[in-house]
Amino acid sequence: MTTNASKITIEFDDRTVRRFMIASIIWGIVGMLAGVFIASQLNFHQLNLASWLSFGRLRPLHTNAVIFAFVGNMMFAGIYYSTQRLCKARTASDLLSNIHFWGWQLIIVAAAITLPLGLTRGQEYAELIWPINIAVALIWVVFSVNFFWTLAKRNEPSLYVALWFYIATIITIAMLYIVNHLSIPTSWTHSYTIFAGVQNGLVQWWYGHNAVAFFLTTPILGIMYYFLPKAAERPVYSYRLSIVHFWSLVFIYIWAGPHHLLNTALPKWLQMLGTFFSLMLWAPSWGGMLNGLLTLRGAWDKLRTDPVIKFFVAAVTFYGMSTFEGPLLSIRAVNALSHYSDWTIGHVHAGAMGWNGFMAAGMFYWLTPRLYGTKLYSTSWANFHFWIGTIGILIYVAAMWWSGIMQGLMLNATTPDGLALVYPNFIDTLTSIRFLMGFRIIGGSLYLVGMILMGVNIWLTIRKGSPVNESREVAVIERTQRDTMSLKETFLNDPIACTFAGMLLVLAWLFLPPGADIAALICAGVFAVLAVKRFQTGHNRWSQWYESLLHNWMPFTVLTFVAVALGGLIQIIPTVMVNRATNVEDRIQQPYTPLELAGRDIYVSEGCYNCHSQMIRTMLPDVLRYGDYSRLGESIYDHPFQWGSKRTGPDLAREGGKYPHSWHYDHMKDPRAISVGSNMPAYPNLFTEKFDQKTLWKKIAVMTQLGVPYPAMTDTEVKTKAVEQGIQIVKELEIQGRSGALPDTKIVALIAYLQKLGKFDVPDLEGKLKGTPAGIPFPLKPGIPDGYRSSAVTK
Amino acid sequence: MTPQSPNNGPVLREHSYDGIQEYDQKLPNWWLFTWYITMVWFVIAWVAYYQLSLGESGEEQVDKALAKIQAVQLKELEKLTDDKLWAMSQDDKVVGAGAATFATTCVACHAPDLSAHINGAKLPGQPLNDTEWKHGGNPLQILSIVRKGAPDLTKGMPPWEPQLGLNRVVEVVAFILSKHKKGEPITLSADSPLKPGAAAATPPAAAASVTSPAAPAATPPAPATAVPSAAGK
Repeated sequence: MTTNASKITIEFDDRTVRRFMIASIIWGIVGMLAGVFIASQLNFHQLNLASWLSFGRLRPLHTNAVIFAFVGNMMFAGIYYSTQRLCKARTASDLLSNIHFWGWQLIIVAAAITLPLGLTRGQEYAELIWPINIAVALIWVVFSVNFFWTLAKRNEPSLYVALWFYIATIITIAMLYIVNHLSIPTSWTHSYTIFAGVQNGLVQWWYGHNAVAFFLTTPILGIMYYFLPKAAERPVYSYRLSIVHFWSLVFIYIWAGPHHLLNTALPKWLQMLGTFFSLMLWAPSWGGMLNGLLTLRGAWDKLRTDPVIKFFVAAVTFYGMSTFEGPLLSIRAVNALSHYSDWTIGHVHAGAMGWNGFMAAGMFYWLTPRLYGTKLYSTSWANFHFWIGTIGILIYVAAMWWSGIMQGLMLNATTPDGLALVYPNFIDTLTSIRFLMGFRIIGGSLYLVGMILMGVNIWLTIRKGSPVNESREVAVIERTQRDTMSLKETFLNDPIACTFAGMLLVLAWLFLPPGADIAALICAGVFAVLAVKRFQTGHNRWSQWYESLLHNWMPFTVLTFVAVALGGLIQIIPTVMVNRATNVEDRIQQPYTPLELAGRDIYVSEGCYNCHSQMIRTMLPDVLRYGDYSRLGESIYDHPFQWGSKRTGPDLAREGGKYPHSWHYDHMKDPRAISVGSNMPAYPNLFTEKFDQKTLWKKIAVMTQLGVPYPAMTDTEVKTKAVEQGIQIVKELEIQGRSGALPDTKIVALIAYLQKLGKFDVPDLEGKLKGTPAGIPFPLKPGIPDGYRSSAVTK
Repeated sequence: MTPQSPNNGPVLREHSYDGIQEYDQKLPNWWLFTWYITMVWFVIAWVAYYQLSLGESGEEQVDKALAKIQAVQLKELEKLTDDKLWAMSQDDKVVGAGAATFATTCVACHAPDLSAHINGAKLPGQPLNDTEWKHGGNPLQILSIVRKGAPDLTKGMPPWEPQLGLNRVVEVVAFILSKHKKGEPITLSADSPLKPGAAAATPPAAAASVTSPAAPAATPPAPATAVPSAAGK
């Protein structure tokens, strides 16, 4: 293609690809084994063999292993392989590749050690403790530098669609990860997130939802765009569709996070944005599916013979299914049924096992023969893997749909007169889904067998062949053929101007006061018509601009960043102000005493949030079952928030004072002694282990720094207060015939915390708070570091 | 790779990336329209639900439903008397339903035999099979404590009315009453908040034989159950 260029021979760095691939398979098997194990724990509580093997600690291990270890390594393998070939250049730095690989594996090992020890930040998929967070951020930077440096050195002027998705992945994950992990350390292994309550919820699900989007979706779409046409040997269906679905996907995805918090205390406008953006996300997601499936036109015969195509077709189909299900689950009424239930679990597993797992399998079966210069050891094994995997997914997902819908219907059922719950006992709803939980173990095990089979097949292929690094003669392109676009060219043009002006008008419609908002909406409509007209007359210029954008990695990256940053900024910044006096809804949480805070840290550490929510939704069945619906002000001191996302057990938002101490004491010792049929693990270790007194003062100091109104206390005062309250609880336990508890044990701290849940004050008109020391100014912005308030409360 | 088009019109773009080419097919209409519909829906729904506040919010719905429940319950409660509850305690159907609820909801703290003891170990609840009561032993008093609970960290009782509904609560009370006789003596326990001047914790010795002022006077004295933890009938 290039005429006057000199030619050089380059050797691709395929060793890094091999390493990441092997790591992905090993961690994948480990992570899925953990999954089958914790699924079994739900049915057989006896499998909670030790405190470090309990469900609450292992579930984060399973999710982190599958997301960051299995899919993470798979994504790196695919990106390193395809980027070099799409750039016609060897990865920029072998050193950075090595640091990336070994650093990432070390992070995984560190996670595998710390999570079972109960060291956690207590937010889903963001559990790793702060030193590991920093390591993740650093390694991600190493990866980004390596990647963008390769782009800068490329010998292919134009960026292929796969690279667009990799770019979006790299910058968005960096943004999400850093913001959601902002914390203040209290020790080497513990920190408090700077966000509290609703802000923490919003930031967490902005991160959590978009970890799915930008860790499990966009990089895999990029991989699809490279490996699927390669395997099918067909042109991609539509370049135009690539453009439209890429930009709409990265822009819209970011906004959909609040759909994880529907019917909660989250402000209504955010809930609505979450729902509607999720609905608008359906088509862009299906754009990716269409481009994948329709690329196979003319190659469908391969489906019969080639396991790689089988895996890709099934994966893209599961992607389509999950991305249809996602918007469905985001509709408030559907969500009222599905949320906190197994339906969500089924939904994510259809995505993780079907889309991610099968894309990984297809890619590995395609890569291995090429990376080792031989043929796959056994195609029939690969076919068997496909079938056993598919059957496994279908059993798993069907069981979870059935289970989720059944339990959701039971929990929400009220008698025909609307006066009472049909199933007042939570345990009845759990008992009736037990057999479906059994089917989940079967489905998951079948899938795991397929994975192991793949591991063996690939291992035997590797033994048969030997590592090959592909060499290729490429034409070196002139510097002037790429990366020449100026800022002016990037931003001053019709497509960008129209997009931003349109967006401004839409924002004006959303945020302006009544009257002006409707005017802005009308303007936006008129503007849209004008913009379409302009596009129709000048679409050649628009196309040319985009073509030249593709020749410039930096402007492309900047625009991608703008697209993904907008949604987050618009949702999160107003929320920093959303807790203003009127928005705490007349209730303000009582700050935890030192002992209660210690108990809360135990609750977080044991991973109780994996099965118990602390958020009573604005729904009659929730209110009848658990008490008055939760208000924003009731969790404003919760660093981290513990609203939860799954109810394997009942909600605990108003657990405080419901039962006597002895109930909790007996329940923690043997849950089945109190509620027959419970699948909760027993916690005998809490009765002997001491709660952490050493760092308690530091924890309170950090809480104060974050804006929780604690009076000034010395280290000794904190410890004395904690132990005094412990002694009080031990006394009360003795009155109830539970002698032998020690005031400094974890169980006492945990009881103190559980009895505090749902305790709030009603601020009166003079701004004084009942039950809290007088003179504390009403929190204006709880949850963000607030120097004024922290100094005011310690005076 | 053949540049031949599978349908009429689409252009195969010239450029090839590592051997991958791209068609430039136009966007499928059904796909575009699905997308447009979701956008239009966003505008309509935002204007309707957010800007015009059509329909009821979740909070309003809950508050309304709760108000309705409360109104119905008030009416039901007006009809209930001690005698009526005693009568219900003789109705096998009501008692059977109450026993079923008791077996799933109450046994954890009050034990299947109502003794609040299992294998000699004291459970968190109060014994319900003796004649000593903490919150009063009249049917309406029992009803009230099951409905409203007694928030108390040492001997707390959750309010069961929201979760069970009034009907089930009445059935449970009928079941408990079926283990008692109308007219049996009722004593208040030492820590009863109903005792005159009860606020302070009184020594247990004084408690044993205070007869509740609410106990019906006209009934013939039944033999007092001497052992508080005796098994229920």
